Amino acid sequence: MGSLFRSEPMCLAQLFLQAGTAYECLSALGERGLVQFRDLNQNVSSFQRKFVGEVKRCEELERILVYLAQEITKADIPLSEGEVSPLAPPLKQVLEMQEQLQKLEVELREVTKNKEKLRKNLLELIEYTHMLRVTRTFVKRNMEFEPTYEEFPSLENECLLDYSYMQRLGAKLGFVSGLIQQGKVEAFERMLWRVCKGYTIVTYAELDESLEDPETGEIIKWYVFLISFWGEQIGQKVKKICDCYHCHVYPYPSTAEERKEIQEGLSTRIQDLYTVLHRTEDYLRQVLCKAAESVSSRAVQVRKMKAIYHTLNMCSFDVTNKCLIAEVWCPEADLHELRRALEEGSRESGAAMPSFLNTISTKETPPTLIRTNRFTEGFQSIVDAYGVGSYREVNPALFTIITFPFLFAVMFGDFGHGFVMFLFALLLVLKEDHPRLTQSQEILRMFFNGRYILLLMGLFSVYTGLIYNDCFSKSVNLFGSGWNVSAMYSAGPASEERSGLALWNASTVRHSRVLQLDPSVPGVFRGPYPFGIDPIWNLATNRLTFLNSFKMKMSVILGITHMTFGVILGIFNHMHFRKKFNIYLVSIPELLFMLCIFGYLIFMIIYKWLAYSAATSREAPSILIDFINMFLFPANEASGLYPGQAYVQRVLLAITVLSVPILFLGKPLFLLWLHHGRGCFGVSRSGYTLVRRDSEEEVSLLGNQDIEEGSNQEARCREVTCEEFNFGEILMTQAIHSIEYCLGCVSNTASYLRLWALSLAHAQLSDVLWAMVMRVGLRVDTTLGVLLLFLVIAVFTVLTVFILLVMEGLSAFLHAIRLHCLLLSSKFSDDNGAM
Amino acid sequence: MLESADLHFNVDHGYLEGLVRGCKASLLTPQDYVNLVQCETLEDLKIHLQTTDYGNFLANETNPLTVSKIDTEMRKKLCREFDYFRNHSLEPLSTFLSYMTCSYMIDNVILLMNGALQKKSVKEILDKCHPLGSFTEMEAVNIAETTSDLFNAVLVETPLAPFFQDCMSENTLDELNVELLRNKLYKSYLESFYKFCKNHGDITAEVMCPILEFEADRRSFIITLNSFGTELSKDDRKTLYPTCGRLHPEGLRMLAQAEDFDQMKTVADHYGVYKPVFEAVGGSEGKTLEDVFYEHEVKMNVLAFNRQFHYGVFYAYIKLKEQEMRNIVWIAECISQRHRTKINSYIPIL
Repeated sequence: MGSLFRSEPMCLAQLFLQAGTAYECLSALGERGLVQFRDLNQNVSSFQRKFVGEVKRCEELERILVYLAQEITKADIPLSEGEVSPLAPPLKQVLEMQEQLQKLEVELREVTKNKEKLRKNLLELIEYTHMLRVTRTFVKRNMEFEPTYEEFPSLENECLLDYSYMQRLGAKLGFVSGLIQQGKVEAFERMLWRVCKGYTIVTYAELDESLEDPETGEIIKWYVFLISFWGEQIGQKVKKICDCYHCHVYPYPSTAEERKEIQEGLSTRIQDLYTVLHRTEDYLRQVLCKAAESVSSRAVQVRKMKAIYHTLNMCSFDVTNKCLIAEVWCPEADLHELRRALEEGSRESGAAMPSFLNTISTKETPPTLIRTNRFTEGFQSIVDAYGVGSYREVNPALFTIITFPFLFAVMFGDFGHGFVMFLFALLLVLKEDHPRLTQSQEILRMFFNGRYILLLMGLFSVYTGLIYNDCFSKSVNLFGSGWNVSAMYSAGPASEERSGLALWNASTVRHSRVLQLDPSVPGVFRGPYPFGIDPIWNLATNRLTFLNSFKMKMSVILGITHMTFGVILGIFNHMHFRKKFNIYLVSIPELLFMLCIFGYLIFMIIYKWLAYSAATSREAPSILIDFINMFLFPANEASGLYPGQAYVQRVLLAITVLSVPILFLGKPLFLLWLHHGRGCFGVSRSGYTLVRRDSEEEVSLLGNQDIEEGSNQEARCREVTCEEFNFGEILMTQAIHSIEYCLGCVSNTASYLRLWALSLAHAQLSDVLWAMVMRVGLRVDTTLGVLLLFLVIAVFTVLTVFILLVMEGLSAFLHAIRLHCLLLSSKFSDDNGAM
Repeated sequence: MLESADLHFNVDHGYLEGLVRGCKASLLTPQDYVNLVQCETLEDLKIHLQTTDYGNFLANETNPLTVSKIDTEMRKKLCREFDYFRNHSLEPLSTFLSYMTCSYMIDNVILLMNGALQKKSVKEILDKCHPLGSFTEMEAVNIAETTSDLFNAVLVETPLAPFFQDCMSENTLDELNVELLRNKLYKSYLESFYKFCKNHGDITAEVMCPILEFEADRRSFIITLNSFGTELSKDDRKTLYPTCGRLHPEGLRMLAQAEDFDQMKTVADHYGVYKPVFEAVGGSEGKTLEDVFYEHEVKMNVLAFNRQFHYGVFYAYIKLKEQEMRNIVWIAECISQRHRTKINSYIPIL
């Protein structure tokens, strides 16, 4: 049996890792990805574990690396990919690496700090020059005003009195000038006015250039302002207000010469700063370029290191403290590989004592491991979406590979659409190593992951499309129709009288709107179409009626087969877990229940297809009525499919009715009997293979088995609780299961009718699309028609792809998933597994 | 019975309410506190906080870690959340949220003025200000010398302006006056907030009014307690009591006459709500009145989440988060000062 049929056999192994070599061993194990570690320190909180210090160190390194990466991207230097997956660094190199990184960080921080300082300086100088340039115009104005005050000093004005008064006191005119952000100008001015009660004159002008805000780095508009005020106290207040609004205040030169001097000085300093800044930036770039080479691979290394320490935190120490003990789940097939990895790890670290492993038996359920390849991966994930199977249970993914695309195709039967889907999937499959696909995002990624599913779905759709004879809603006449219309017409009047059949003559053809072909007229029906549905149905008005009857019966047959298959898989499960009583008490009654009712229904459908020909079709009874009568026992049993039908049906019904109480009571009663007489039923088995979590019945079987030494507290607790045999609970579980099954059989059969409904919807939708779009285009006359047809085909293609392929495809996909997961898996699976 | 307000509530505020409830669910659990208390160093605390909703909020802090760094980062986080709420809110929720910031603004203003009195630099004090209550004009408060100055020059355009109506005076701002100013501001703030909630009606009023009543009464009690042995006259004291609480008017009158803690307790005994609160003071664990009040507040805030379609959840969430931050800071202080005996006296959030 392939590994896809059941999950891998697992065993619990204890790894004894020498304290010195644990790191290397784990690194070797991690590279291979062989085992799953169990947390042995569950009740120790995360910061009290052994290797917290190392984890912290890794976090520190990560922080540095993140910082480096940030700086590098800020400087627009491409990060080199380097090795995709370098090994975790050996312990000796870790310290070195840490030192290197820390040195780099310190250096980088210093350089960037210097750079920032220089930039700020530069910005300030630039602001200063701007300010000087702008305020020069203010001062000119002020100069013009000043004489007017002096000319009329005796003006009887309170303000002026004040002014002269203050002048006399020796208060001198002061200036504060600077830059302020655009948004704050108004509030600033208002506050100045309120606080200084109008003793200040504020002039401001917008700066034509936008400058950077040194705090946030945003580019914003600035205003240059100049405040002239009287007196020291007000000056203090003005300064405080300037601080409050984060103005950039610069000293204001009092004379023109001074201003000129400052301006000249500034321009040379700006020049100097520019050169220094350039040098610093060059140096920074060099440093970053060097760092960029290794950052991404270092980040991977550190992450691996951190993962190793996290795993080490899950190990426990032995008494001598020399040895770390880890418990792992490992597939049995990989044990020797595991040993080799351990050896390699110990060899690398050069330890005297090798690390070794020891398999231990346990009663805990191992995790479910199902190996997949790129083909089965997609199907496995569909199955896992519903629930992970229990350990060693039959894995439906194997069958899903065929049944899933098939059920999908039944709903999506159109070989035109199917072929397009197949081509798309084929493209994905052929290009699967292309980096743009493997790194694609979101929706494309979804399609990419399901490429093999799509491929099979496309192929199966082509097949069902051929069966339905649908290609973009049109039928294709490949082999020549089995019907002959002319035979209907040319038959002479003599034969008409002989057989009493309604043949056509000139007047019927001319006058009736609908003509009917009669297969019982010789020569009209020349045997069935070799493959699929006869294309002549495409012309018939009763096509839908015919297809409905066909598809409905087909979906019932497929559905019941599918469910029966599920129950049979359940038998495989029971056989594997050596629970024969489950086969007799659960699976067989289930099968009988299903087959006696619905299996018989299938029989009737097929029997009716075979037994009645076109000639006798008028006498054929309705299956629906017959099926209902099976339960009602009507008085008149005049018509039937075959002689003795009533007796057969009664027997089947009796079997069905009998199987229900067995289903309800069989298993609980058997377990009760087993529980009371377990002394004589002494099955003593060792090992964990038969025990599954959450199922009381098996555990009760193992009640007399020794509790494994060394199993942890939790397991012990479970063992104790399982000792109790709770009959009521088992009865309840079984009753619920049985009711669910019996009702499920009916409702699930109805549920499978969605195969019919969706396939119908798909066919009708594509028909409508053809009629509404393509036919319109084809009807236009030739001159304009070419152009129009061009457009129409474009519209038709877009609608076909988006509505019919994507939307319809998705809906069919969802329904197929539902049919699989809910209706099939529930028949046999526990879904209690853990990954 | 569905009122029309309930029907429309989700149109405007449904998103934010959902958000705030999600945030509330991420508050630290009792188990988290048990783990935090076991921490040996602040590094441990950081590691444990990383596993909670705080995430990597301390990741970019350079060593060594201090309590104040933790505190600032937590405040920043709270502030980010609050700003998000506020930026996405519509009227009248945005007014409600503005009201919530006012109390922090009052605290900040008072803090800055006290700083100015003690001649400390503005920068130094700005760091201590609560980020929820920061506003531009705040830094200029030390220009003012009297309260009316303060109002006219600095605060007239801020949301605090309406609360100044009672406290315009020409007294110079010394420490006592600053404290009086704080209480008066708080009084009119609480009364105004109370009125706002009351007028809003609906569930918001049903939830918020008891919380604000309690807040008012707590202030009255604390003012009384703090005024024992100071030069504050009884009449002055009475003017400071917020009048929107349960104690108004009779209880406040009696409280104004109280002269020591026992007399205060007798006043509280008349009220069913406060009797158990005062009885819990002292006790076996040596709880202070403040602790007991905090516990009561936490209880009320947690209860606010039991109702839907109201703004109280925002208030309650911010208050609970604040309490949580106080708890973390308390634990962190205990850890860093190696003072483990009192580490368990944080206020558990239910």
